[in-house]
Amino acid sequence: MAVVEFTDTEFMICSAARLLEDRKTVFVGWGMPQVVAILAERLYTPHLVQLFEFGAVGPQSLTPFIRGTMGGPSNIYRSLQWINMNWAFSYAATGYIDYGMLGAAQVDQYGNLNSTFLGGTYEQPGRRFPGSGGGNEAASFVWKTIVVLKHEARRFVEKVDFLTSPGYLDGPGARERAGLPKDTGPWRVVTSKALFGFDEKTKKMRLLGVLKGLDPKEVIQGMGFTPLMAEKLLELEPPEDAELRLLREHIDPSGIIIRGEKMRAER
Amino acid sequence: MQGQVEVHFTHPDDFRRWVKENKSRDAVDKVMTEQEAVSRFVQDGAYLAYDFSSLTRGPQALIREIIRQRKRNLWICAEFTLHDSPLLVGGGCCTRIDVGFLGYGSYIGRAVCDGKVQVFDNTNGVLASRILAGARGVPFLPVRNFLGTDGLPHSGAKVINDPFTNDPICLVPALNPDVFMIHVHQADVYGNARIFGTNLFALEAAMASKRVIISAEEIIEPMEFRKDPGRTTIPFFLVDAVVHLPFGAYPGAMPGRYEIDLEHVDRLNAIQTEAQMQDHLERYIYGVKDHLEFLEKHVGWPKLKELMQKASIKEGYQ
Repeated sequence: MAVVEFTDTEFMICSAARLLEDRKTVFVGWGMPQVVAILAERLYTPHLVQLFEFGAVGPQSLTPFIRGTMGGPSNIYRSLQWINMNWAFSYAATGYIDYGMLGAAQVDQYGNLNSTFLGGTYEQPGRRFPGSGGGNEAASFVWKTIVVLKHEARRFVEKVDFLTSPGYLDGPGARERAGLPKDTGPWRVVTSKALFGFDEKTKKMRLLGVLKGLDPKEVIQGMGFTPLMAEKLLELEPPEDAELRLLREHIDPSGIIIRGEKMRAER
Repeated sequence: MQGQVEVHFTHPDDFRRWVKENKSRDAVDKVMTEQEAVSRFVQDGAYLAYDFSSLTRGPQALIREIIRQRKRNLWICAEFTLHDSPLLVGGGCCTRIDVGFLGYGSYIGRAVCDGKVQVFDNTNGVLASRILAGARGVPFLPVRNFLGTDGLPHSGAKVINDPFTNDPICLVPALNPDVFMIHVHQADVYGNARIFGTNLFALEAAMASKRVIISAEEIIEPMEFRKDPGRTTIPFFLVDAVVHLPFGAYPGAMPGRYEIDLEHVDRLNAIQTEAQMQDHLERYIYGVKDHLEFLEKHVGWPKLKELMQKASIKEGYQ
């Protein structure tokens, strides 16, 4: 048995990359989702077609990842098409985009996301964040939304301070009643310790597994709601050597995205 | 659920009338300085949109000129606003922001918390749809996102039952900005313009806006557009001013021409307090008379050359 060391961010990235399917399409947001998509494309899903909201379709991003330049030439290198935002979102609105990957400051048990503000009121918030960006479009239109966020109990709340991007709203059928496209919604929540899905019937969040060596009870302790539990919890494998090598040596050697809290696990 | 807030809205017939009476179809030389373009076409209280971001092909030199001229009470369309909205708010120019993505640094977040600037939460897609509606000459467009959110009541959107499907549908109001500013790779003196790479809503926003200011890396011959018309982004009759501003996207990148100056961007990211903001504005904006002096005094040729050399990917940008 060997001990492997990694950051919480590296674990989230690897975990999310393993969820994507080859020969599918994915709506990719700025930052960590880009790194997930690049890792997946290099190791697992070489035919994945990425979509960037500002109009890059099918880019084959160059690495190392350069900070601050999602729209820059190296990130949108060798795309299939360069177009604009109204057409980019149209691909998602017409059902062509299978997956979407999003971060959030808060998530509730129905997968509703807040990336707008924390505390106070809308007019006078305690802390203000960037807001939706294109997150609302991804969460509304793609077939399966993957949420990626650091595992901190305070981020899992009974009610989000502001509903920026829709999950299952207040339960089964609520998306359709609101007028959102049918059969869409959050599919997985990837955190730095665990993986969650959603119950088919109740649309409530369900713990699917935790990082190998962690105690599931401790992992869900302090969350603002008690998630459902899968009958058999998965033991999530820590990052593979090949994944870590690619991340650290090729994709993000300066550690802009992959840095984080140190973790260790046995494998 | 209906958005019950103030919206920048123009009746399509009023916009058409304005176009008829104010937008010349005559191809005349519209080249002018940034001082003249901003003082003639950006009024206090104007609604301002721009394309793309402060890191990629944004009209940064024009934004600095707006701050230098101390324009007041602007309302901005903040699709990918990264470093521009903090500077505009810090300069006292902007009091309202339609948010898509409210960008970087703690300064702008704090300005919202302190009530220095009022935000209206749309989304990137909603803002793009609103501008498209403005360009189509219709009062709204129906969309199937934004539904179920807390943003909806803080925008001007409305939900009705769609007469075709009988499902709820979100109607987003058309947006016709007073001014649209875009930095392009190439333009001619009449305002025909080309950009290379992706864009947010370049043509839609140019069509939907009352005034269009173009800043260009390069001025080319009008015949070049006719030789390759598939690559024209914006035709001249939408355009009011052409400003020749090499490095006009600095400190952001101009794809295929020069890369981002990360050192300068870090200086912008580091601005937290009001004092730091005012120091920055004093040094880099108020303290120079124009874009050229800014480049000479605060950037310099060796740095510009380095940024040009870093832009080694040319495919698709020529």
